[in-house]
Amino acid sequence: MADTSETAAAPRTHVSLQVNGTTREVDIEPRRTLLSVLRDDLSLTGAKPGCEMGNCGACTVLLDGEAVYSCLTLAVECTGREITTIEGLSASGELDPVQQAFIAHDALQCGFCTPGQILAMKALFATNPHPDDETIERAMSGNICRCGAYPKILAAARALAGTQAAQQ
Amino acid sequence: MNTFEHVTVTDGNEAVKLLSERGGAAGETKIIAGGTDLLTLMNASLIAPQRLVNLKAARALRYLRFAEDGALHIGALATLADLERDAGVARRLPILVESVRDAATPQLRAMATVAGNLLQRPRCWYFRGAPHCWLKGGAECFARDGENKYHAIFGASSCVAVHPSDLAPALLALDAELLINGPSGVRTLPLAAFFHEPTNDARIEHTLAPDEVITEIRVPGQPEGANGAYLKMMDRQAWAFALASAAAQLSVEDGVIQQARIVLGGVATVPWRATQAEDALTGQQLTPELARTAAEAALAGAAPLAHNGYKVPLARELVRRAILRAGSVPHP
Amino acid sequence: MPIRIITTHLEFEGQISEQRVVMEGEEPAVWGPEAELAVVGKVTPRVDGRERVTGSAQYAYDVQLPGMLVAAGLRSPHPHARIVRIDASRAETAPGVRAVYHHFNTGDLNNPSNDRPVFGDELLYQGDLVAVAIAETKEQAQDALALIAVEYEPLPFVVDQRAALAADAPKVSTTYEHNTIPEGFPQTYERGDLDAGFVQADVTVEAQLSTPTALHNSMETHGGVAQWDGRTLTIWSSTQDVYGVRRGVASALGLQQNQVRAIKQYMGGGFGNKFGAHHSGLVAAYAAYTLGRPVKYMLSREEENLAAGNRPETIQTYRIGAKKDGTLTAIEQHTIGNVGAIGSWFSPVAMATKELYQCANIRTVDEAARTNLGTQASFRAPGVVEGTAGLEVALDQLAAALGMDPLELRRKNYAERHQALDRPYSRKLLLEAYRLGAERIGWAERDHEERRYPQGRDGYLRRGIGMASQLWGGDGGPPAQAIAKLLPDGTAVILTGTQDIGTGTRTVLAQIAAEELGLPLEQVRVELGDTEFGVFSPPSGGSMTLASVGPAVRMAAAEARKELVEVVAQLSEAPTDALDVRDGHIFSRETGKEMGAIGSFLELLDGHEITAKGMRGPNAENMSVRTFGAQFAEVEVDIGTGRVRVLRIVAVHDCGRIVNPLTFSSQIEGGIIQGLGFALMEQRIVDQRLGAVLNANLENYKVPTIRDIPQIDIILLDQPNVHANTIGALGAGEPPIIPTPGAIANAVAHALGRPVKALPLTPDRVLDLLNS
Ligand SMILES: Cc1cc2nc3c(=O)[nH]c(=O)nc-3n(C[C@H](O)[C@H](O)[C@H](O)COP(=O)(O)OP(=O)(O)OC[C@H]3O[C@@H](n4cnc5c(N)ncnc54)[C@H](O)[C@@H]3O)c2cc1C
Ligand code: SF4
Ligand code: FES
Ligand code: FES
Repeated sequence: MADTSETAAAPRTHVSLQVNGTTREVDIEPRRTLLSVLRDDLSLTGAKPGCEMGNCGACTVLLDGEAVYSCLTLAVECTGREITTIEGLSASGELDPVQQAFIAHDALQCGFCTPGQILAMKALFATNPHPDDETIERAMSGNICRCGAYPKILAAARALAGTQAAQQ
Repeated sequence: MNTFEHVTVTDGNEAVKLLSERGGAAGETKIIAGGTDLLTLMNASLIAPQRLVNLKAARALRYLRFAEDGALHIGALATLADLERDAGVARRLPILVESVRDAATPQLRAMATVAGNLLQRPRCWYFRGAPHCWLKGGAECFARDGENKYHAIFGASSCVAVHPSDLAPALLALDAELLINGPSGVRTLPLAAFFHEPTNDARIEHTLAPDEVITEIRVPGQPEGANGAYLKMMDRQAWAFALASAAAQLSVEDGVIQQARIVLGGVATVPWRATQAEDALTGQQLTPELARTAAEAALAGAAPLAHNGYKVPLARELVRRAILRAGSVPHP
Repeated sequence: MPIRIITTHLEFEGQISEQRVVMEGEEPAVWGPEAELAVVGKVTPRVDGRERVTGSAQYAYDVQLPGMLVAAGLRSPHPHARIVRIDASRAETAPGVRAVYHHFNTGDLNNPSNDRPVFGDELLYQGDLVAVAIAETKEQAQDALALIAVEYEPLPFVVDQRAALAADAPKVSTTYEHNTIPEGFPQTYERGDLDAGFVQADVTVEAQLSTPTALHNSMETHGGVAQWDGRTLTIWSSTQDVYGVRRGVASALGLQQNQVRAIKQYMGGGFGNKFGAHHSGLVAAYAAYTLGRPVKYMLSREEENLAAGNRPETIQTYRIGAKKDGTLTAIEQHTIGNVGAIGSWFSPVAMATKELYQCANIRTVDEAARTNLGTQASFRAPGVVEGTAGLEVALDQLAAALGMDPLELRRKNYAERHQALDRPYSRKLLLEAYRLGAERIGWAERDHEERRYPQGRDGYLRRGIGMASQLWGGDGGPPAQAIAKLLPDGTAVILTGTQDIGTGTRTVLAQIAAEELGLPLEQVRVELGDTEFGVFSPPSGGSMTLASVGPAVRMAAAEARKELVEVVAQLSEAPTDALDVRDGHIFSRETGKEMGAIGSFLELLDGHEITAKGMRGPNAENMSVRTFGAQFAEVEVDIGTGRVRVLRIVAVHDCGRIVNPLTFSSQIEGGIIQGLGFALMEQRIVDQRLGAVLNANLENYKVPTIRDIPQIDIILLDQPNVHANTIGALGAGEPPIIPTPGAIANAVAHALGRPVKALPLTPDRVLDLLNS
């Protein structure tokens, strides 16, 4: 998005990414992380930079359905893989059941960690629609919430566990 | 992060070729697997490879397979999550599942490969920070007389960082070996010989050459009645490296221990095998008292630094409990 | 409207100040206990929940503008050094770089919050700002940093607080005469006769507690995006205080305040250190102003942890005297705090000692040491978290020495009045909190064998129960303004200058307005976080927001409603007192019949909007409005590994009326979890020889994960405090964090039968304690 016409010092690679069901083409340096490409090149700012070192989880996205840290993922290595960001969950305009549960249970405060939390929970329910508390806590243990929304995040997940909605 | 050339390969041989090009200069070309350690090192400007060889497209290297002889073959690209989820592994080698369950986080386990896990560099805060410490080629180890509560209580290296891997102690307790692909072909290397304490001439925790690629980790079939346990202590309940950990793999027949392997994590620059404890166990009837004696033996000779004396009782207790757990003896 | 100027008093984070308020009109009568409210008090999901869960909420970090440049900072590797020379020529000509700022070209940019240059030539801590590169992309800006050649002259430094106070200590800055905060320190408070108090005592205990330096680590770091259009400097900031940002930027750039517009739509956590423009905001603003392009400067996590404030470490010592029956006769508290390189105030660590328990003879001494480390900033109940932990730990040791139940000791010394100011509390429900909390946690079974030794005496698990009390202001005060507009379609917009930092402010303000206007919640929109509205509000901190802004919103809404009724009355030729407004419709009081939707009347007036102002009235005089509460913790300690698990926290806090039980409980839980982090794991680690922070990251500065949290039981008192303000609500941001560390420390001491002397209670510390 920034004017970079005269600054192409580092070699770039053409990369075609599948993001939220659509193909997005970018010319990027290989060192660019998926997080920075999503945010700075594709204006998908739902994934957040909290540490860029794998220590917070705010940058969590789904890669082929699995939750990963986009800050430690090179964008060039994501070709041919399905990337889902928080923006993709409600692309139809309707909120995903996990998103609805987060609102209903107030599973967020400042909201900065929330996109990552929601995607981590999405990944959990994709593999296990009936998680018990320990399974939920383990699945959600890679996302820091400094505001301390954890009890409500747990409540949201408990409410979803075993429901039809969880499996969507 | 520095700029670099990015090359994707589809098998280990190709990777070896690229690694040995340009004279195979150490650090010039690096493999990237999950990238979870490599990229953090690059982010902190601790390394600046000019070329990254992306191994992830070598799909054939991602597998978990039990061979006829009961051995588990782990492809280098298998992730920690693959291990964690595998029903066969859970049944036959529970120690492996226990060792990955509390490693890092679900996201990192989905990304991190087993080979990368064995090759990860220490988390010593001087090493990961700005100080040009001994391990980075400098003159001084800042931790030895500095802030060393996370550091080593065993070992003879000038470096007192601890090996951060949770998987390594468990794999060592299982007597695993590595299949390594290099310019002159394939070699196998016992994991015990792969880890080595950093020395003046080789300031690194392992013996893999810069132009070699790990292709497989092989866990030999375990005897009937074998069982293992891995216990890790952290300073919060998740997402922390081990303050200390203990891996115990026992085979017990009629209540008598036939074979025992005890390995400690978080106590030395490499996973630390406690042979004295193993000797104390072998041929004995497993009792709570024996576990206690073996645990004492495991920690004999520990030499704590100013701020990590707590690791001695901690590791001792973890060894004791791991032995009892592996032997399915109810405790405390 | 007649205008009155009233003088009132406010308390902000332990300091009382005088404030003049302009009042226009009258505030509505307080919502007392009898008030029947339809929206206020109901569980209400956040009105901006959708934005927050879909990623569409825009944080400062997310702002992207056409042509935007990005900044990256170069920071001092030394704890103390002089910059001899900077050669930035290679950086300046690197690809994409548009500017490099440093002392030798931007030395005159001043930071009004501490009145020091943003780019000084004397660096006072590792992480102090050396230079900033501005480039087309973040990568280019970061690459440029490596090309800046800086020659440093390292200077002697000191990072230990006790060492810093020694007569021959190196000076933290060459401009300092000594390393104490120059004004007012050491700070001594005295009442009664301490020595006589100790003479009266049957039992005297000495106790100590050291507490760590805690780092806020909001998930969104400090920073913002600035844009200059030749007339207005607009800055999108991650802030708790848009007015503070405006003031700071205007002052630094020599602009008028009205030439600066500060915006905060969403922000990723504050916890006390996001007041003012911060140097990141100033640099972004300066760069935008001089380069004519929008500029973003967001701190990295490491910069955040080195240079954005902290809760300063303390070493507290107590001497407490009591009679055999537990009556306190004397308390002496001595504290040394480490306020960092340019700390100019020290948090009120003695607030609890002065006020929490009845005691006639008190002396507290606070010493504040400057050191070559990042400067302290307020952090959720600054000082009071640390001080309450220290006092409560000491009181439990006294209880043990007296052979008395710790809760009984607290009841025995219940303070009915504000002893330091010698005036009554508006009300105090602490005894009630004790009763409810003790019952829920099972205090009476605290010493039962099977409870303390869940595996029996031979096992390795020990359980313990401890408690601590809480005292805080949270009464807010003026000035705070609001505007309510009724739009032609019958919906309402509320404008305020406050911010929602994640506490749910937007939602509770919408509830208050909906209640007063007689509108469904969906028909009320709350706009905040923008100085452009010209509706002043205080910073969001100190648990002040709701109690300050809520009444202003209520008054604005009440005025708008009055005007609406006036308009409808004239249009329908009915007397005003015959009309009622409910659910967005006008009703006849007499017949109960609906007369039409609000919009159907306003439509008749061709675009007319009803606009009304509201403001927060003065605080009650001659009484102290306080929040009180108590927490009870049950912990389990593994004496083999040193692991401490908090099993359960019971929290009872009197924060007046609870406007939204859902967001209220979120606040309480969040405070408890941060308190748990402080008690069990959080601590900045500094290498004394290098003067370097070793864990300016989220790997080794550990904050709680979801696996660390206990069961949290919140017992709601939910009784409006009619002396506080017209909505009867007090703040809930600070109260919940205050007693948690003390309650946990006391529970651990109970479990182990040994006094706790230092936080956090990490496994190494617990094992050392057990083996000592
Ligand atoms: C925040 C955080 C927390 C963590 N916590 C834990 C923990 O609790 N326990 C734990 O055990 N680990 C932990 N880790 C470490 C993590 O498990 C390792 O980083 C990961 O396993 C490395 O695997 P990778 O595939 O990502 O390796 P990469 O980062 O891709 O590579 C690591 C190194 O191995 C080399 N390499 C990789 N594969 C091969 C191969 N096949 N042949 C030759 N060389 C190869 C690379 O060149 C590089 O030098 C943590 C990491 C992070 C970032
Ligand atoms: S322990 Fe090793 S890595 Fe750490 S400072 Fe010493 S030499 Fe460096
Ligand atoms: S930003 Fe990726 S884990 Fe923190
Ligand atoms: S809601 Fe603020 S960090 Fe989670």
